[in-house]
Amino acid sequence: MSPIDPRLHEALDGERDPGELPADLREAYARLISATHLVSGTPRLSVAARVMTEIRQNPAPAQTGGPLRRSIRWLGRPVTVRLRPAWTLALAAGLAAILLLPLGPGGLTPGVTEGVAKFVGHFPGARSVEVVGSFNDWSRGALALNDDDHDGIWHADAVLPAGQHEYMFVVDGERWVPDPLAGRYVDDGFGDGQQNSVLIVRPAAAQP
Amino acid sequence: MVNNGAPDVEVVARVLGGDGEAFGILIRRYEPGLLRFATRMLGNPDAAADAVAESLVRAYRHLAQCRDPERLKSWLYRITGNRCRSHLARRHTNDISLSDAPPLADGSDTWAELERGEQVALVERALAALPAEKREAFVLKHVEGMSYEEMATVTGARIPTLKMRVHRAREALLAALEEVVR
Repeated sequence: MSPIDPRLHEALDGERDPGELPADLREAYARLISATHLVSGTPRLSVAARVMTEIRQNPAPAQTGGPLRRSIRWLGRPVTVRLRPAWTLALAAGLAAILLLPLGPGGLTPGVTEGVAKFVGHFPGARSVEVVGSFNDWSRGALALNDDDHDGIWHADAVLPAGQHEYMFVVDGERWVPDPLAGRYVDDGFGDGQQNSVLIVRPAAAQP
Repeated sequence: MVNNGAPDVEVVARVLGGDGEAFGILIRRYEPGLLRFATRMLGNPDAAADAVAESLVRAYRHLAQCRDPERLKSWLYRITGNRCRSHLARRHTNDISLSDAPPLADGSDTWAELERGEQVALVERALAALPAEKREAFVLKHVEGMSYEEMATVTGARIPTLKMRVHRAREALLAALEEVVR
């Protein structure tokens, strides 16, 4: 294998008019182009039906499902309750009592197999920061961080199932960045060398 | 119902909004190229079909992780390329075997068709003899017609590295073709 004249590479890269090449290079150019045409045919097979069947059998639409999102959807679901007038006052008193009950850290009350995750990131000048991860099927708009005092430190607490989760911050709706404070990272599996941050949530019941 | 000619961003939004059937539009749009790419990478249409099917299901499940739906095509090629590399790694070799041999002659074959079949087999053998990363670069550039920028997005390699791989692949291919002419 010997190096090819750089002018041939330039022509093949579309940086030079092949018509300007000397005769021997033009011949090599034509040979390579016809070789690529020979293997450019599309195989006569299709996986469309197989893929769609798989998708229909195990539907996991990316923006639906996930315990956090399901909870949010459940909480936002409109419910109609018909009450006799006599019960209305009693219910109002009961609701007030529930709202005054002391809550867990950050006002969150994790179940036995859940824990509270605290997300903190320093993003000065950011207009918005949110967290997407395996716990919410990487859905946008499910968990926003806040920077109420405008010091560039964004934070949010969330109740998550105990266990290991992968996540990323999304800054200003477009920039995906790993959590610099995560301590553990894993390859995101899409081959671009990017890494997801790893979070391990301990169950609230196991907390001292 | 989303239009079959709708931009990728729109179709992705529909799928993420719960319209799983809209993913079929993306399959129809990119399946031919992905199958062609995987077949050239693996040298075997059955293995290529498996790789592309697995890649598309994976893409569907992780669609929300596609950070730039405008570059969906590159993202799908990247997932498929990874799947092909995993497949090659499982074989513990970069070499590929060709089950795509030219068809056997029958009475209806013309000389021109036979000759073409032999030429296809020759180029396939030359491609198969390349290391996987050079084969990938050559196929993306010359079979899929991608720019070096697109190839960088797909492979994660730098543009000068990709140019070098394509150049080496061309040299090897040309040498193989000249060997036959002699």
